[in-house]
Formats: sequence, C-alpha cells, structure tokens
Amino acid sequence: MRGWYSNFVSAGWVVPVFTVVWIGLVVVPLLIMVLFSFVEIRDYRVVYDLTLKNWESLIDSGRWISVVRTLRVTAVITLIEILVAFPFALWLAKGCKSKNVKAAIITLLTIPFFLDPSSRTIVWRAILGKSGIINTVFIELGLIDQPMEWLLFSEFAVHFGMIAPYFPTMVFPIYLVLTLIDDDYLQASQDLGASPLQTLIHIILPLALPGIVAGIVFTMVPLMAAFVEPGMLGGGFVNLLGESVEAALRNLKYPTAAALSAVVIALLAVLLTALVLILRRRGSLGAIFVTLKR
Amino acid sequence: MSDRILSRRDVVKGAAVSVAAVGMAASPGFQQFALAEASTVIAGYGVTTSQLKDWSIMTKSLGLEMKWTGTDADIGTYMRDVISNDLGETHDIFIFDGGTEDILGPQGYYAVLDEDHPQLTLWGRTADSWKRTDLLRDEAGVQYGVPVIGNGDSFGYFPDKIGANPNGMDEIPWAMMYESDKTLGRVSMDRSWLLSSTEVGNFLKANNRAQIADNSDMTGEEARVVADYAVERKKAGQFRTLHQSFEEQVQLLSNREIDIINCWEPATKNANIELGADLVRYAFTVEGYYKWGHGAYCHTKALDRGNLDNIYKMLNYYMSGEYRAYQAEQRGYAGPNMDLGVEFATANGWTAEQIENLKWTETKVNKKFEKPFFGKPAAKHSAEMEEEWQRFLNA
Repeated sequence: MRGWYSNFVSAGWVVPVFTVVWIGLVVVPLLIMVLFSFVEIRDYRVVYDLTLKNWESLIDSGRWISVVRTLRVTAVITLIEILVAFPFALWLAKGCKSKNVKAAIITLLTIPFFLDPSSRTIVWRAILGKSGIINTVFIELGLIDQPMEWLLFSEFAVHFGMIAPYFPTMVFPIYLVLTLIDDDYLQASQDLGASPLQTLIHIILPLALPGIVAGIVFTMVPLMAAFVEPGMLGGGFVNLLGESVEAALRNLKYPTAAALSAVVIALLAVLLTALVLILRRRGSLGAIFVTLKR
Repeated sequence: MSDRILSRRDVVKGAAVSVAAVGMAASPGFQQFALAEASTVIAGYGVTTSQLKDWSIMTKSLGLEMKWTGTDADIGTYMRDVISNDLGETHDIFIFDGGTEDILGPQGYYAVLDEDHPQLTLWGRTADSWKRTDLLRDEAGVQYGVPVIGNGDSFGYFPDKIGANPNGMDEIPWAMMYESDKTLGRVSMDRSWLLSSTEVGNFLKANNRAQIADNSDMTGEEARVVADYAVERKKAGQFRTLHQSFEEQVQLLSNREIDIINCWEPATKNANIELGADLVRYAFTVEGYYKWGHGAYCHTKALDRGNLDNIYKMLNYYMSGEYRAYQAEQRGYAGPNMDLGVEFATANGWTAEQIENLKWTETKVNKKFEKPFFGKPAAKHSAEMEEEWQRFLNA
C-alpha cells in the first residue's frame, strides 16, 4: 500500500495531467467567456462580429454602479464576519472544553448549507417588515410610534440578511487552523510574561493567518455573486453584480453577462493576488502550516 | 437553405449538443413526447397561466390529451427554447404573450394559421378585436396565432389609502403610482423593463410630458427619458420596493407593506382572500393599460406529423365556451367568445354567482380596452429599453 502511495505521489505524470485537465475545465471556459463578451446578440441570436458594445454598456447602463456597490458591501460584510468569527472560532477551538457542546455548535453552523437561499431569506421579510415581528413588538412596548421602515428594503437589511449565511464559511477555516496551534506555544508565551493581548497579536494571529485568508476567500467569493439576499431584502435599492448578471441572462444578453462575469473574475484575481502578497511577507502558506505543530 | 436552418445546424449539431440532447431527454420537463401519426396527444410548450388546472375536462369533451411543458413569462427563456433548443422537434403548440410571432413567424418557426381549416370552427364567430390584433399577426399582417386569454394590466391599490371609492370603479391616474404624495414611499414597482418602463412611458406620453412615438417599443433616446424620470422618482423616495415575482406581489399586498403596486390582477384576488373581500382593488386607469394576450401557435415542424387535424381541434378549443368558462373561473382572465363561456356555464348548471362573475370578467375587459393600451414583448428596441432600465435598477 505504502509503495503504491509513494509511486502515485512521486509519479511525474500527476502535474502535467492536472495542468491539462485544469486548463480544459477551468481556464479554457473562462477564456471563451471573455471572448463571448466581445460578440453581440441581435433578435435573440448571437452575431459573431467583434464589438466593444457590451463593455461600453457596463458604463452607459449604470452597471458600474453595481460593481462599486458590490465591492463596498462585500468588503463590509467580510470585515464584520472576521470581527465576529475570529473570537468565536478562538473560543470554540481553545476555550470550549466540552466535546458535546463543540459538536453541537459545529453541527448548528452547517445549517445554512442545507437551506435554499430564498427560503432562509424570505423569513426575514416577515420579521423585518413594517408589520413584522420586530416593529410590532417595539410598538407594543411603546418604544417607537411608527414602524421602522429602514429595517427592510435597505442596505441595512441586505447586510443583516447576509451575515448569518456567510458566518460558517468564515468560522470553519479559522477554527480549523486554530485547533492546529499547539497549546505549548500559548503556554510558553504566558510563561515568558506575555499578556493575553500580546499572545493574541504575536502568536495566535500570525499562525491563524492561513485560516483567516481562507475564510476571506470562501466568504468573499460567493458574496460577490450573491443575488438572492440583495434582491429580496434590498427592495431594488441594493442592486449587486450577481443581480446584474442574472438580469442579463434572463434577457438573453449573454455577452453582457460575460462582460460582467469577467469583471467579477478580474476583481477577485486582484483581491486574491493582494492576499497572496500579504501572506508572502510572512513566508509561504506551507511554511506557516509547518510551524503550527512542533 | 433558410437562415433558420443554417442557424439551427450551427448551434444544434455537433458532439457538444449531442450531450445536451441526452441531458434534455433525461429531463422530465423535456421528455420526448410520443408523436405517433394522428396522435391524440398534443404536446404543448408555453406559459402555465394559459392552461386549465385540470385537462381531463378537455379530454372528456374532445378526446385529446394535453402534454404540457410549462415556462414562466420570461421571453428570453422562451425564445431560447424555441430557437436554440429547437422544441419544435418535440412540441406541436406554443403559447406565449402575443408579439413573439413578429420574430418567430417570418423566421419560419410558427406556421401561418390556416383560417379555413375545417377544425377551426369558431374562428369565424370570434371578434376581430381578439383575433386580428397585432399580438397575433406579424408586421406584414400575416396571421400566425389564435387568441387564448388576455387582460389589461394596471395596479392594485387600497382605496382607503388613496381616497378612492371602495367599490373600485374609479378611474385612477397613473400619477398615483409615480408622483402622488399620498403614496410617497408606499409604492412597489415591478423590476421588469417590459412592464414597468412601458407603463411609465405611457404615463409620460399620455400627459404630454415626453415625446414618445410608441411606448411599447421605445427608441434608445425615448427609453432614456423614461429611465431618467424613473430614477428621479426613485431618488425622491416614491418607491418602497421593487418586486419580481407573483408571490412577492401577493406578500407585499397581504402584509400591507405597500399601498399601491403594479401587478397581475390575480395577485389582488389572492391578497383579498387573506385580507378580506374587496379590500384591495385592481385599478381602472385614466391613461391606459399594458395589454397582453396569449396566442397559441402551431410549429412548422408539426405540420407534417399527421396530427394536424387534432392540433387545429386544440387551437379551436382555446376559443370555445368550455375553455373560456373554466379559465375565467379559475384565473379571472377573459378571452374571445366570452358569451360562449356564459352559455356553457348556464347549460352545465353553474351557480348564478359563477355566471355573474363570468359576465363581469367580460364587462371589465371591455371597459379597460376603451382606454389606450400597449404591449410588445418582442419589441425591436428591447435591447435599448432593457439597457436604459438598468440605470433605474442600479440607481
């Protein structure tokens, strides 16, 4: 078994095969998509005359506004997720001693993955609406005279509605990395007189960086394509890129959708490159993982 | 070799599409229906609202069986399925909002209607106002479809909120939707450019606020004026939300989240079931309506399958009293030969209330169509109109 495994791992064909398959399944379709953004649809048919119209229309139709808005909303939600998820993951990995509680929490965190986005979002409309639960309770308690209309169909509602579904994608990678940190490091830091804050900043955070980066990637990428929550909770005031792509597809404007998708991919490529460069300053990802265990 | 055939061969043939075809064959929605010669099974594709909730009624009276593949009101999806997915290979009848024949007729997908076909017995007695509209004929006046159902769309409203007569008979100006202080921040507008931009265009045109030749097919410049106005009203806070689906329409009305909404008429009916009878009214308007009408078309590829008589029998059924009565009763939609619907209901022992409702459906639609109406799902300038409407959505 070990011989087979060694032969498999050391085989020279793995890299070329992977490269060819990856190029065929991922890179080529992406290139075709980019090329598609330079053709036109006329009378519901593709016309293969090269044109820049689709790219120009991203400006003329105001779709660029949704690009900027998407970046802003994505950045804010990702930041909120990090701020909430990191302490939670730290407690779960190092603070929570009960195995049963830990197992129960991890199970609960998987719930958003099982729910259809529309089903889990539509509920918030009944809660946040003018005659929803929150407004009704607040009015009954005499805390407000008029319903708070900004609770629904606003940027607040979109942020609020997206925090819970994307929380697990931030928590899990951070939690996994934190569990790998050897407790002896933390003990040594304490023995050498470091305060809890110093241990957090100089020991835990650098070692948790791969998990944080993975959390950012797993959270930010789907956020950039989200359209269900913005559509249902934004009330048409928080159009994001995902909705623009969906609207273009619905109207058979495949080249426009291709141009928008190319923008999304370009933005992600820039952001991911930035993250890789940040990590590089602290050594390679692999090197960080090696230091997690003595 | 026609342009249509060339296009289809370009797209459909080849290994990649063979895989897609296998996938389609495996998909329940696109099953290859048995198309035996002189088959009594009619394969149909189109909008679900045109269908009876129980086709066994038709089977009992005509001896035909309907195999239906439904789609929504999204014209993009429909055109893709007819043109690229070549559903004419497997389906006989197509039903969609009138207007698609402007493209699919001349390109050879829809067959020209044989008005003298012996099975089309009700064609002669069907009023021109239903059968000769440009929703069923192309720009050259060639007839492709038979009328199925139709309505004039406007908006639902709470009379008490806008100070209108609770009986719903007032004619309400569209300004109540777009710029009345009574409804500021209490309006929901459909995201669809097809519906909402043409309605705003009609409002601006009718009130001499913009020079628009045809608000159902606006040029880029005209669509820009409409979008500018809509953006201005959006920024002024006129709209509480923008909606997208029928379910949302019902929910927004039922929760009283809004006071006025451009929507489908059945949404007001559904909301009233929850809120109480006639609390929400569907507007008779001052300036006019978005007129839509479903047409039923025979595909050219179905002409030689040997079941053409049965296909025409089915087309004829859409104009019959039995179909009319059940459609109006189940969905509240009118159509051609409403008198036959009343006759059918009377002869089959329907209640006086049901018969009155059928009569009201006809009266209501006739009253609506005294006003200007518009609507062209396959507009020539659809790309420009959609493009400009995006500015409103993104604002």
